[in-house]
Amino acid sequence: MKTLDIELPQMALLYGLCLLPGFLLWLIGLRLSRDIGIGVLRMSLQLALVGFYLKILFDLNNPWLNGLWILMMLLVADVSILRRAGLKVRYFALATFSAIASSILFSTAFLVILVIQPTHFYDARYIVPLAGMILGNCLQGNVIALERFYSALRKNENEYTTFLMLGATRWEAVQPYFRDAVKAAINPTIAGMATMGLVSLPGMMTGQILGGSEPWLAVKYQIAIMICIFTSTTLASIINLKLSLNSAFNAFDVLKNELIEKT
Amino acid sequence: MSPIIRFDQVSVTAHEKTILSDISFALFPGQKAVFYGKSGSGKSSVLKTVLGLLPLTRGRVYFQENPLTPASVQSIRSCTAYIGQEPILGAETVRDALLLPFQFKAHREHRPTDRQLIEVLQRLQLPVDILSQKSGRISGGEKQRIALARGLLLGKKLYLLDEVTSALDAESKQAVFDVFSDPDLTVLSVAHDPEWLERCDMIFGLEAGRLTQEKAT
Repeated sequence: MKTLDIELPQMALLYGLCLLPGFLLWLIGLRLSRDIGIGVLRMSLQLALVGFYLKILFDLNNPWLNGLWILMMLLVADVSILRRAGLKVRYFALATFSAIASSILFSTAFLVILVIQPTHFYDARYIVPLAGMILGNCLQGNVIALERFYSALRKNENEYTTFLMLGATRWEAVQPYFRDAVKAAINPTIAGMATMGLVSLPGMMTGQILGGSEPWLAVKYQIAIMICIFTSTTLASIINLKLSLNSAFNAFDVLKNELIEKT
Repeated sequence: MSPIIRFDQVSVTAHEKTILSDISFALFPGQKAVFYGKSGSGKSSVLKTVLGLLPLTRGRVYFQENPLTPASVQSIRSCTAYIGQEPILGAETVRDALLLPFQFKAHREHRPTDRQLIEVLQRLQLPVDILSQKSGRISGGEKQRIALARGLLLGKKLYLLDEVTSALDAESKQAVFDVFSDPDLTVLSVAHDPEWLERCDMIFGLEAGRLTQEKAT
């Protein structure tokens, strides 16, 4: 079974559909046509570029090129996580990169080598979309973990100092904020697993079914990817927070507020 | 006898503002010292500097004649009780707040018994039923005394006190004075209270981060 193609006139029809919400928004007094235009244009260009790269990647299926693609995704994710968490990229880049790289590589390797077992473990058809999906979800979790942790620490600086004065080591003193941050990071994934299939059909499963897979096979892949997302988000947020401590405090265990841009 | 704390020409600057300038003094075991001055004169910063919470721009701080360094700061903090104007208890109930430091590795072996908790409360004129009260519900003066009780339970010998009698009634104040009449306890404090100043044997005046007066009584 092959997925039916969407031809150019039908694509044009699809873009035309945007006029309906655009008109309704204009009718209720929301002047968003510029934002909508930019949004649709950016989505189209970015996806076209990704499609172009993926086509080359899949055609060549070279292990080094696939590795390079994953490395690039990791670097972009690294900067994106830190910017969104309001931390100075220069000081935390290595910690975040080490955390996401080790957990993404571990989960993807586990899934591809031990579970899916393709002929070549580096097969772009498996490794590129799976690593990308795991990374995308992991990114969200890491933004939450870092943002939560450092804003809580900043807000409760006196409490943290009190813990130090009562004999806590730095690691003991940050424990309450550390646990809360990790919990906040993994909660959406746990909640997502608990309601999966009830509220909506997950994206990857829908994609596979549209692509011609048997529903059962799509279900198994969805379960596999969710478990890997949960594993890598938990690993990455714990490692990331732990490693970030080395940059965030001075030698006397005082938080370097200047490295945190917002609360 | 060597001093327990010594400041040698200490200057502290934060956000391009001079907080302390060229401060030198020595505090010997058993002495009770107080810094007084207008708000913003740098009094509280002296206490924070002892604990390594403010970076020095010049000079040195010594604890038992060893310089304050990243390696030695934890031992200084674990020997010292810091009690601020509005102490943070860091736990839901008063009992948990008193036992909080004993969760940390440094004090895990020395968890006090219920009897010891009651004794220390009585010593500070606090009712025993305060143990089951929520930390957020007790008054500022009670918080200060609970923080002090925590220091006593930890067997601390050096107390850094920031306006510790400011929220106390006459009876509770007397209880605090009685605690610090112990010659084994060393105190470095910040206060305005004339009764407190009267009981200290060293008085330092501070103005704009500089020592203006030094008086041994």
